[in-house]
Amino acid sequence: MVLVAAALVPAAMDAAAAGDPVAGEAKAQVCVQCHGPGGNSASAEFPSLAAQPPLYVQYQLIQFREERRKDPRMSPFAAKLTDTDMKDLGAYFSQQKLEPPAATPDAAKVEAGRAITQSMHCNSCHKPDFSGQQHIARLAGQHEAYLVKELRGFKTGARPDIDGSMASAAQPLTDADIVNVAHYLATYR
Amino acid sequence: MKYPALAIAAALAASAALAQQPAPPAPPPGQPQGQPPNTAVAPAIPPSWAQGRTKDQEGSTLAPHPPGLTALDAREIPVSSLKAPPGFEVTLWASGMPNARSMTQSPKGTLYVGTRFPGTVYAVTDQGGQRQVKTLLKGMYRSNGVAYKDGALYVAELSRILRYDDIDNHLDSAPKPVVVNDSLPKDEAHGWKFLKLGPDGWLYFQIGAPANIIMPPYTHATINRLNPQTGVVETVARGVRNSVGMDFHPVTHQLWFTNNGRDWVNDDLPNDTLHVLKAKGENFGYPFCHQGDLLDPEYGKGRSCDEFSKPAAKLGPHVASLGMRFYTGSMFPAEYRNNIFIAEHGSWNRTKKSGYNVTRVVLDKSGKVVKVEPFVEGWLQGDQFWGRPADVHVLPDGSLLVSDDVAGAIFRVAYKGGNRTASR
Repeated sequence: MVLVAAALVPAAMDAAAAGDPVAGEAKAQVCVQCHGPGGNSASAEFPSLAAQPPLYVQYQLIQFREERRKDPRMSPFAAKLTDTDMKDLGAYFSQQKLEPPAATPDAAKVEAGRAITQSMHCNSCHKPDFSGQQHIARLAGQHEAYLVKELRGFKTGARPDIDGSMASAAQPLTDADIVNVAHYLATYR
Repeated sequence: MKYPALAIAAALAASAALAQQPAPPAPPPGQPQGQPPNTAVAPAIPPSWAQGRTKDQEGSTLAPHPPGLTALDAREIPVSSLKAPPGFEVTLWASGMPNARSMTQSPKGTLYVGTRFPGTVYAVTDQGGQRQVKTLLKGMYRSNGVAYKDGALYVAELSRILRYDDIDNHLDSAPKPVVVNDSLPKDEAHGWKFLKLGPDGWLYFQIGAPANIIMPPYTHATINRLNPQTGVVETVARGVRNSVGMDFHPVTHQLWFTNNGRDWVNDDLPNDTLHVLKAKGENFGYPFCHQGDLLDPEYGKGRSCDEFSKPAAKLGPHVASLGMRFYTGSMFPAEYRNNIFIAEHGSWNRTKKSGYNVTRVVLDKSGKVVKVEPFVEGWLQGDQFWGRPADVHVLPDGSLLVSDDVAGAIFRVAYKGGNRTASR
């Protein structure tokens, strides 16, 4: 009995933690029509999902399904997904290589953006290389216009976040700050 | 003492929960409130969990665990890994409730379960030995606190307290809520509420410190009570960083509560604490003194811990002591009578994880704590946890429920005996 229990625990934790990237690839066929092959989106209308932390993808999908985050294009797809689907999609996209378009950094904007991310402690959650962790998004190499839109959304409340951290963090940012931060992060390699 | 900062809302019928915009973060020490926040060059406020780090700690990889937003499939829940003392049995009682946290029960038997992140409140009923889980409320904002009084369910959101009348008879379609108070602070950090009905008929709740370690506004780091008839709000305790568990001693009727200690001192300090309120308005030390005998490295300068009330017990560093209840049932052996059970959510700000259990606190006849020991363990396996206890609740039959906001489930601890002590 003890042996059985001991054998069960790691399996259960694995099941709870990890998705199946192979199953995820099959399930991602509809996603990549907008988010691009392997989650490398060609349009700033759609965020790149490649190399996002698996839990970030899963938790955002939950937010869409539970109608806490709303988007007329995204919501109908998320509404149909199970927890397992979301886990699998997270596993798949997290393993794809991010291939952002060639960056043309503007030195002044980069420096202004860098100073703001430093003073705002963005790296505390998003990690020093902005690759994200756990349920926290990868920002490096994301579409600039998407980052601008979402930061403005966090400030106004149009984009709700899970625990309020981003809403709080975005409050002191001016629109110029948001533009500079987005440029810095989008061109960060 | 009257609480003038909290305007009292007229009890008007209101529509479904509206989104409550979070407040901007609290200003850093020294910066007066109400001034426009600095941008760009001047250092801003780190996220609340990272606030209070020393220079050396800024590179730490410790960060809060992701919130539980899913429920494990009942077949995946390793309930057999939960260990209680001999004679006790732990079973899975209900599942499929993402982020299940605070519990309250109506006399008819419906268990109401609040959540911190998904904005849902569940209603669990026993249908011939099988539990039926209903999502009673959706779209709430940090609906962590639940209390039942006179046929109504009270729900504490981030900044509001709502009342749902005749709730037991409306489990399939909750009535429109009455807004009892909509003027509580909107700070997200330690902003979710624990709600507890007192023997005096008032509803008790905390307003946590709006950061890890900060000079709080006088409204914050407090425990307060609301008179549901008049709407009056009073502060009953100060200097409490964040209490997410309260109960009243079954004999003395004094308020006992858990408190989460600050982060980023070190792995072993300060302890979370258990307190008893002996007089209204007592101050328990935050941000100056922690655990009754540890001056804060920054705010403790020039202060003494003797200025403040001492804790009844130290519970361990970073263990995240949340929900607590006195054991008032008759199923467990007599020595458990009027003990306290505490759900320890488990640490993040510690190199080696600690907590992740249900802790038993034994008091002597005079109400002095004589023993603190683990009661149910097993959520933590090595360095990995598969669930996190958030609250406890004593069922009418004397068994103990434990909510888990990562597994999205509720466990039941029953005494099966063998050498059962004669009942009192």
